[in-house]
Amino acid sequence: MSPQPQAAVGAPLSRVDGRLKVTGQAEYAAELPHARTTSRGGTPTLKGVVHAVIVDASIGRGRITSIDTRAAERAAGVLRVIHHGNAPRLPYRDNSGSNNPAGRRLRVFQDNRVLFHGQPVAVVVGTTLEAAQHGASLVEVDYDAEQPSTDLTEAEPGEPTRYARGDAEAGLRSSAVRLDARYELARNHHNPMEPHATVAHWDGNQLTVWDKTQWVMGTHDEIAAVFDLPADAVRVVNPFVGGGFGSGLRCWPHTIVAALAARVTGRPVKLVLSRKQMYFGTGFRPAYRYRLRLGSDRRGRLKAAIHDIDAETSSYETFTEAVMGAGQMLYSMPHVRQAYRQVPLHVNTPIWMRGPGFASASFVIESAMDELAHELGVDPIELRLRNEPNEDESTNEPFSTRRLTECYRVGARDFGWDRRSPKPRSMRDGNWLIGLGMAAGVYDSGRYPGEARARLDADGTAVVEAATSDMGPGTYTSQTQVAADALGLTMRTVTFRLGDSRYPRTSPHGGSSTMASVGSAVVDACNKVREQAIKLAVEDRESPLYGVDANDVVVRGGRLHVQGNPARGETYQRLLARNNRSHLEGDGAYNGPGSDRSAYFAYNATFAEVAVDADLGLVRVRRMLGVYDAGRIISPKLAESQAFGGIVGGIGTALLEHTVTDHRDGRIVNAGLADYLVPVNADIRELKAVFLDGEDNAGNLLGVKGLGEVVQVGVAPAIANAVFNATGRRIRQLPITAEALL
Amino acid sequence: MHPFAFTKVSDTREALDAGRRGGRYIAGGTTLVDLMRETVERPETLVDITGLPLREVTVTERGGLRIGALVRMAEAAAHPKVRTLFPVVSEALELSASAQLRNMATLGGNIMQRTRCTYFRDVTADCNKREPESGCAALHGFNRTHAILGTSDHCVATHPSDVAVAFAALEARVSLLGPEGERHLPFADFLLRPGSSPQHEQALRKGELITAVEIPAHPRPLRSGYLKVRDRQSYEFALTSAAVALHIRGGVIREAKVAAGGVGTVPWKLPTVERHLVGERPSESLWAAAAERAADGARPLEHNRFKVELLKRTVERQLRTIGGTK
Repeated sequence: MSPQPQAAVGAPLSRVDGRLKVTGQAEYAAELPHARTTSRGGTPTLKGVVHAVIVDASIGRGRITSIDTRAAERAAGVLRVIHHGNAPRLPYRDNSGSNNPAGRRLRVFQDNRVLFHGQPVAVVVGTTLEAAQHGASLVEVDYDAEQPSTDLTEAEPGEPTRYARGDAEAGLRSSAVRLDARYELARNHHNPMEPHATVAHWDGNQLTVWDKTQWVMGTHDEIAAVFDLPADAVRVVNPFVGGGFGSGLRCWPHTIVAALAARVTGRPVKLVLSRKQMYFGTGFRPAYRYRLRLGSDRRGRLKAAIHDIDAETSSYETFTEAVMGAGQMLYSMPHVRQAYRQVPLHVNTPIWMRGPGFASASFVIESAMDELAHELGVDPIELRLRNEPNEDESTNEPFSTRRLTECYRVGARDFGWDRRSPKPRSMRDGNWLIGLGMAAGVYDSGRYPGEARARLDADGTAVVEAATSDMGPGTYTSQTQVAADALGLTMRTVTFRLGDSRYPRTSPHGGSSTMASVGSAVVDACNKVREQAIKLAVEDRESPLYGVDANDVVVRGGRLHVQGNPARGETYQRLLARNNRSHLEGDGAYNGPGSDRSAYFAYNATFAEVAVDADLGLVRVRRMLGVYDAGRIISPKLAESQAFGGIVGGIGTALLEHTVTDHRDGRIVNAGLADYLVPVNADIRELKAVFLDGEDNAGNLLGVKGLGEVVQVGVAPAIANAVFNATGRRIRQLPITAEALL
Repeated sequence: MHPFAFTKVSDTREALDAGRRGGRYIAGGTTLVDLMRETVERPETLVDITGLPLREVTVTERGGLRIGALVRMAEAAAHPKVRTLFPVVSEALELSASAQLRNMATLGGNIMQRTRCTYFRDVTADCNKREPESGCAALHGFNRTHAILGTSDHCVATHPSDVAVAFAALEARVSLLGPEGERHLPFADFLLRPGSSPQHEQALRKGELITAVEIPAHPRPLRSGYLKVRDRQSYEFALTSAAVALHIRGGVIREAKVAAGGVGTVPWKLPTVERHLVGERPSESLWAAAAERAADGARPLEHNRFKVELLKRTVERQLRTIGGTK
């Protein structure tokens, strides 16, 4: 086949769904499905929807001894109060898929045990939201409370996951320069703007669920397992997601509660988590305690590292994430030992959050590298260059592409790194100490099997479908770009659909995997359609392309023509009309990286300039730059948005974000956006993203390496290193707050 | 939210009638509605007073300011007289909340706003302010943002208002209208320290209505300003703050008005700091020495010890900013 001209891919296009979003027509999970009768919306297709509000446990551990629902049931508009005493027993079939971690998942209203503060203990269904909310406040629950264990620093860790190469202890002992530092990283919550929400509707034994999720298939499979339904009895729909950052990667208990409430009441049920409930009703980036010992020679060549990592998990599931990866492959060194221990606590189960594992580990490793550079009197970039590996030393596999040194060079030039004084407290602007810092970032982007379907209609338009999601990166737009080029159509004539479990199955929309995985399946499906059309044409005596070698035909703007001879050809429309074909269809698949044995990672170099008012303990981020080695950039405008979002998230992790638990009873004390601080507009000054030109074709058809995760990795350490450069204070706790700097 | 009745009144007599019958006044609603949603507040009747004629900003005879209780924060902050006569007030307002909230919230409501203590706002936690005698979860809980001054064993919650700190510094008076007529309370007497009854936050009698805040005339020239130290740059309450107004004539500080926010159960007037300044000539060492007294009497808690030092530095910085070094 002749390669298709790339018209849409690489173009800085705006979001294809932008107008829908800014005009309020994009339908999110809590918005009832509407029959679209006019461009301004339409009438709801679901009648008789009622509202459900969850009652949260007000103890951190123990048993429910009684639930008094009388006052709630008497309240106007309350239809039903469901709790463990009256809920139907649910099958909860085993499901090792759906991103369920090892363990025994929380079973809603199946027993009287309370495993964490805020666990759902009842749900009130009312005719209005207000009635259900009021009803929920009237449910009286008595408990037999026990002391929960929620403090990572005091609880007993579980058995570690280990990694070792060489002899790290001996390597460290024989190192001329040694660091031994302990880091503490706060728990972070995703806080997407859109709250998690579910609308559940039973039609006989058919269950349809509109649910905020980054993975309709995962939610589909979990619901089928929990209710023991055949796969085709469940449909999960979610065309729009108002931000996710990972919080939508699992089917959370409230989704089951909504489906259960709908079954019990026989009514369609809408359940929206409050902002507060998002802090225990969905997962979070776990808190870490991390000790790193690092040894190098006098020139800064790393010899050994020992990582002792403790992280939060729940008492009922063992959550793990890729926190060990960076320590194994980011820098060259002969001796590495890691122990990663999950510490079971009376908390709900964590979930991946942007840059999972890598973002946390990079704060530690990159802070330590900066510290080592300072000890040795070596420039932080130079130190990293001296430890650049030639292969992934954990697997001895070659890197598919690794252009981190180029990221350093481009970043240093662009950011004005040469203006940095290595001496702390030597740059000043009035009351502000100025500091420059940098860090490397890496992320192990995913490539997972998936499917897609493409259909070209006789009118020359195409529809492409896959059960993926668009939590914000712009999947609708970027997949349309990919499909348009593969089909030889314009953006306007291609519609990409996602977010329905009836579409071809895909992997989760997370882990920076969507473009490599779903995109490859989309290309495959579209290639099949285009090939069918070309075959039809070259075998059709009435086609101007009759007899042409199929490999010499390309399609552009919906017109098939001979490569290099645009005059000889015809449109899809003419071709299909003449052949009496209503449409052409293609099923595409991507089977994962297959035999590709290269080490496939995305990289960045992140730079930060901070101003610190050392008297008042204030840190202000003045400038940030990210330089990304992320393979081919499908959609430059969206990529820049991704990078900015990741940097903003990283600024939050570095300076503000901290979910606080009261260890006396396991209560989260800052469960809300007034008290859990995320950056506001005033905190964000100058951001810049640079993408290295290039592609990485390791095991994917698009040359991409994934972007959405790596953009947050390295941000927090770049800021912490800049704070050190400004003040001489090495802060090893996140977030970096005023009290740490006074 | 618990069910409630809602009435709108069109004159102060109607308002006072409704208030006497137990109605809760509501204007911008930016605090009360939030708290009702959390069921922290459960009023039976809300009385909408936004139709009352309390929206004037007037200059008093000798050069003070009278700001009607229903003047929106944004209006007060933008008012030319406020800006020229008392920058400390407009700065405190502009550093408060968000633009949206400042467009809704009124001055009367601002000084009535309730604490941001997260235990107060969580009805499943112990809180003497919300539920007398239930205990104070904050005392030994997470208390980073809590008060170090004016606390008791019953309550350590911070008063969240910024502009109230400016009012306290400037020794404003609160004008109240009740069934027995009008009265005026010094700001220091209007907001109450928690003591053993933290549920009583203002010296308001039943049904009394705030009609205005009156800032007295101060000798001119008066330099004033507000410094707010907080974790993020906007839309966040103060860790510490300082309202400073100085009258310097002939190179000597003749009058000093200083109060601190983010640290007290009420806006914290700093008379010892003021006394240290009056009669002295501005100098670096004067600011430092005066600010050294800012945290006198502080009783820090487990997570807010840093506020003691931060408060001194905040006051020192703002004294220097307003007073200069000459």
